[in-house]
Amino acid sequence: MQASRARLFKELKEVQREKVVDNDIQLVCDDSNIFKWTALIKGPSETPYEGGVFQLAFAVPEQYPLQPPQVRFLTKIFHPNVHFKTGEICLDILKNAWSPAWTLQSVCRAIIALMAHPEPDSPLNCDSGNLLRSGDLRGYQSMARMYTRLAAMPKKG
Amino acid sequence: MEEDNMQQEEEKSSFSSNDYNPCPICLGPVTHEAYLDRCFHKYCYNCIARWAKFFAAQNSQPTSILKCPFCKSDNFSIVYECEGDSFQRHYINQDPETSTFYSRAHKFRLRCYYREPGAISDKFNVLQYWKVRRYLQPNKWLQIWLKREIQALTQEEDVDIVVHHIVGVIESFMRQNEQGISKRTIEQNREYFKASLCDAARPFLMGRTEHFVNEVELFLASGLTIEAYDDVYSECLETPASSAISEDEEMMPHKLNTELPYLHFFDEDSDAE
Repeated sequence: MQASRARLFKELKEVQREKVVDNDIQLVCDDSNIFKWTALIKGPSETPYEGGVFQLAFAVPEQYPLQPPQVRFLTKIFHPNVHFKTGEICLDILKNAWSPAWTLQSVCRAIIALMAHPEPDSPLNCDSGNLLRSGDLRGYQSMARMYTRLAAMPKKG
Repeated sequence: MEEDNMQQEEEKSSFSSNDYNPCPICLGPVTHEAYLDRCFHKYCYNCIARWAKFFAAQNSQPTSILKCPFCKSDNFSIVYECEGDSFQRHYINQDPETSTFYSRAHKFRLRCYYREPGAISDKFNVLQYWKVRRYLQPNKWLQIWLKREIQALTQEEDVDIVVHHIVGVIESFMRQNEQGISKRTIEQNREYFKASLCDAARPFLMGRTEHFVNEVELFLASGLTIEAYDDVYSECLETPASSAISEDEEMMPHKLNTELPYLHFFDEDSDAE
């Protein structure tokens, strides 16, 4: 437990130092609890998520970094590997391919990469997965873009 | 894969600017340096050992492989306490205490290599061995002894290839001498033997090569069985400071110096020549 706390403080320091370098990711630690973090990530360009800002919630276990953090989308997103209702993410490195060399920052990067490269063969959102699997790229993109506008962009007017 | 590269690049750049390499697991400065045996990535011993244990506990199938957390390559052991030419090794999912091949005798022999070489060399008449060309008589214990010796030093179980290689070097040396090809003097012959053994063993034993070659020479010169040779050694290593031994045993090494029973027939041997 002490090890996880020490490591999270190291990450917090690194995040504050790195803020300027990587402005696609904004990681913030809860004021009172080092095991609770939120992140704001920018939707990658040339994807239907471009222009959107998505909020992620991290719950870090006490066994961290031996165990992966639990991450979910707080912002609604239409993506084959994200549960539409709960925001749960299906990503190997958050499950059995986890390695303690990952950091919260690099997990954010992995999630951005997943947004740009969906894996329709392991869907948590079947509607989205089926659109991609049946080759309806246009259908998937317009749905994803619609939800990006609705949920991940500031309301106009 | 893309994110992996990004991660590594990011860490490389931030590490180099900090001018120190933190442990990838605790992100702090490395304490008790440990390396994985294939990719040589560096961790704190405690961090990587904890991860290995945790990882093994999660898997339903026991595995002897540890993927490097940093580069994902397969590794088989954690190397630590590297000091000059010695190091310790921790095999994945294998407690050295219960390991099947690494016996107490192996541990004892490894301890012998931590001692000053030559602690025992005056126990045997090595020069006599070379003078009377006793190396021409094959030593039937040599192969088994070499195997245990190399296992002890490398802490690897399967060392047959190394043993075979070294036995080959020794045998070809004997053949050269049998056929009387070499016109070397006794001292040259001895030097030649040790040099060729060094060359053969160095790739596997590295910093312990010289000590190992001396041991081979001593073992051959002693003409003892493996057990008897170990006995002489353990008597030699017992220090009077150790409280466990009785007075009689304490006296033994001193007596052995002058009167080692095994040595009698060596002397007779030389008289007969």
